[in-house]
Amino acid sequence: MPPKGLSRDEMKSLTDRVLSYAMADQTRVNVSSGVSAFTRTAMNRVTTSGSTTDVVVRITSAFGRRVAAIETNRLDAASLEKAVRDTEALARLSPENPEYLPEPGPQAYRDVGGYYASTGDLTTEDRGRAASLVLERSKAARTVAAGYIDVSAGSRAIANSNGLFAYHAATSVASTLTVRTPDGSSSGWAGDEGADWTTIESDRIAADALAKCEAWRGKTALEPGTYETVLEPTAVGMLMSRIMGAFDARSADEGRSYFSKRGGGTLLGEKVFDERVTITSDPGFANGETAPFTGSGEPTGPDTWVENGVLRNLFYSRYWAQRQKVASKPGMANFVMQGTDASLDDLIASVKRGVLISRFWYIRALNPRALTLTGLTRDGTFLIENGRISRPITNFRFNQSMGDLLKSVEMAGRPTRVCASENSSAGPPVIVPPLKVRAFNLASVSDAI
Amino acid sequence: MADDQAGVNRREFVKLAAGGAVAVAAGLSSADGVVEAQRRTAPGPDAAERDLALLALDAARSAGAVYADARVIRVLSESINTRERQITNVTKSESYGIGVRAFVGGSWGFAATSALTRDAVATAARDAVAIARANDRVAPSATRLAPVPKVPDGRWITPHVLDPFAVALESKAQLLFRINEEALKVKGVRFVTSSADALKESRLLATTDGSLIQQTFIRVSPNINVTAVAADNSDSQTRSGSEGPMGAGWEYVTGLELPARATRYASEAVAKLSAPAVEPGAYDLVLHPSHLWLTVHESIAHPSELDRALGYEANYAGTTFLAPPEKVLGKFRLGQSLMTFVANRTEAGGNATVGWDDEGVPATSYPIVDKGLFVSYQSATREMIDAVAPLSSYKKAPGHAYGQSWASIPFPRMPNVSLQPAARNISEEEVLAATDRGIFIEGDGSYSIDQQRYNFQFGGQTFWEVRKGKKTRMLRDVAYVARTPDFWNSMAMIGGRETYQLGGALSDAKGQPMQLNSVSHGCPVALFRNVTVIRTA
Repeated sequence: MPPKGLSRDEMKSLTDRVLSYAMADQTRVNVSSGVSAFTRTAMNRVTTSGSTTDVVVRITSAFGRRVAAIETNRLDAASLEKAVRDTEALARLSPENPEYLPEPGPQAYRDVGGYYASTGDLTTEDRGRAASLVLERSKAARTVAAGYIDVSAGSRAIANSNGLFAYHAATSVASTLTVRTPDGSSSGWAGDEGADWTTIESDRIAADALAKCEAWRGKTALEPGTYETVLEPTAVGMLMSRIMGAFDARSADEGRSYFSKRGGGTLLGEKVFDERVTITSDPGFANGETAPFTGSGEPTGPDTWVENGVLRNLFYSRYWAQRQKVASKPGMANFVMQGTDASLDDLIASVKRGVLISRFWYIRALNPRALTLTGLTRDGTFLIENGRISRPITNFRFNQSMGDLLKSVEMAGRPTRVCASENSSAGPPVIVPPLKVRAFNLASVSDAI
Repeated sequence: MADDQAGVNRREFVKLAAGGAVAVAAGLSSADGVVEAQRRTAPGPDAAERDLALLALDAARSAGAVYADARVIRVLSESINTRERQITNVTKSESYGIGVRAFVGGSWGFAATSALTRDAVATAARDAVAIARANDRVAPSATRLAPVPKVPDGRWITPHVLDPFAVALESKAQLLFRINEEALKVKGVRFVTSSADALKESRLLATTDGSLIQQTFIRVSPNINVTAVAADNSDSQTRSGSEGPMGAGWEYVTGLELPARATRYASEAVAKLSAPAVEPGAYDLVLHPSHLWLTVHESIAHPSELDRALGYEANYAGTTFLAPPEKVLGKFRLGQSLMTFVANRTEAGGNATVGWDDEGVPATSYPIVDKGLFVSYQSATREMIDAVAPLSSYKKAPGHAYGQSWASIPFPRMPNVSLQPAARNISEEEVLAATDRGIFIEGDGSYSIDQQRYNFQFGGQTFWEVRKGKKTRMLRDVAYVARTPDFWNSMAMIGGRETYQLGGALSDAKGQPMQLNSVSHGCPVALFRNVTVIRTA
């Protein structure tokens, strides 16, 4: 099958056409194209399934520092020309944006890959077979399954009036499954995410969700409090994906970030977390690839954000970099936390008395200065005693500073790509290990299952 | 200036919008009042769009669909963002396409495309049927669709005075800059952002039942955020505005007197820096509607969604403590007799207010909690009526199918769900006067609730200590934690119609693929006894 989304040549001719209409001082065109498809199950049956094809063109025009943008998915020549004219009219009307910088010229990009035919060629029948395999296992176990297979395949491009052109094709897939007992007394979840469908293990997802649902039956109370805690990779990923935005130099300089220094400036170069914490990003990370450029066409490369607990880099927008007289640095496109070869069981074995958390739900920021989040545990929470899981326990609400959490890391296991979004769509790749932390604040009990 | 001009128009808007309020107050079970008021001005279908929609239905029927619907949707949106004395973003966007839903056996298939040619539309329709058939083969289902009356020429438009897309960009930007300027005048304020979003959506629905319905939805949403930073950079505090989005025209924005509000938000952000942190413990809470709407949304409206009770949302949004239906309907006491919640898609200004839903069912209004007792779920669609008909008042679909755009499949979505005010006109002062030791909370803040909607924790924007019936000093770092049924059963007093206002959101997330819904919740000021308050910092 041909790849989904516009090819490099199609993109080039589309962006050339848009730029040929342009009369502004500066013009940028961002295009995304492709197909998203899904199969959804609940109550042990397929509930909905579908496929959407779209091409979205975003035109940004600037006269001096007067800037505006228009987005449209009407691609005929007349509509595109009108969109360019409208954008330019809107830009002339717009008050000046003193932070606007002219578009960059041509750039060199790494070829990082990221489009997998195994994902791009998936059909409704393929998704249906994967879903029905899971449904059969759930029916056999007398449980109730609800799952979701989310597939995207397409391409994006950026071109501007200074000769820049960037193109990247990518696929992504997430497959998740919740298995509940018919009486609603237990629930288990498992899921995979990747760029390559062959890495999605439908059989193992079914087995893991069923096992978790079985193990969590008969949960009992545990006092709220601060516990030594083992976080499974999905749990770690759900928390870490919430702090990606905190690595921003401007909000640190402006005194409203965890990385703000008392008295002014940032904590760059200072030890902010435990020395076991190293956080990097890399557009070429296998099965976690991202576009090797930002939305304005700046190249992105591998970066180290935290090295052995020391804050090494913050995101500097082109404007903020110019103002602070440093080089600009794009934000992290994916999130990679280093680990070790230790298994989840090794982490559990090291705990005398603590809690094992499978995943979270409804995570929200409480305080950006302290990087404090609230949220709830979901689909499998357990007490660990003397290195073994001793019993299933109720869910909890946590209120926890991510800064304190990363300062109290005692062990990190083997990193893996996880489905870190709560809605189970494939998002920015998050590759994290399971973590054992000294202290995690379980603030109140939740009766939810 | 646009806002002065619309200040005059506001009265007119209120008069116009009252059409909807009358329909609700009179207890009409449909939006007849609003529909009638708007029928004369609501545009009819575009001929080319109608032809494409009918072509899609023909193609789906020929391919074997027993039922199909086609939605041609064109969404225009505009966003203007500012920061202090500069523009940070001006964007307009247009998304146009067709989504076709086909039903084969007992299974759904959906296909959507932005290519609005006859070939592409027919292909999408056949794809929808092929997807439905493939699903019916691998995992057959016995779902049945409840019948709906045919609407051959439905027309509806959001009641409004001033089309937001007819207001000049400069006057919108000017208003935002005035807001920022007023906030920056307050000493201690370092940052302010403001924005104005507007949306206009044309939605044509054609069904194989013979319905053809053209609706136009207009929504506007202003936002203000003011941040004060301590002199030594050791702390920052933000006050976000409490102006919710509204199903209305630009007159709603200008009628809010936002520059004056910005001054108040700015002084409150500064006051938060030096306010004492709350002492954790049990307090009475007086909750302003600008705050309470979100608690209603999360702890009443979500748990009463029928699809959650049946298990449709188990893999994401979750299930609900209001289940199973046979054990809770007409039996579960959620609150005292002063508490009545109405589900509706008819309320004036409501973000979920429409003429018909995405299955061609007329908008309705009905109680879900009646004098404290849980009497009905909401969010039902045609395929769900069989599951609850023996237990509930549902003999037909109440009109709650909605797909965010042409690209998204319609599924059960929340209507407006509103707490009815007291019959007597009780004022905010009277409610405060009934509070001996409490906290008065305005504005929505951090919010989080579990997947069955039991345990919640809500912050707010401003917190005032209440002593012996009077607001005293400001507090900070307040959040309250409760178990949903305990919390609502502790509601001891509510304000009258004069304290009633709508709050809402344009981005309520649900479903896989995740879709956003626009919804409003009306409520009066209300008093809750003995709620657990924690300190968040």
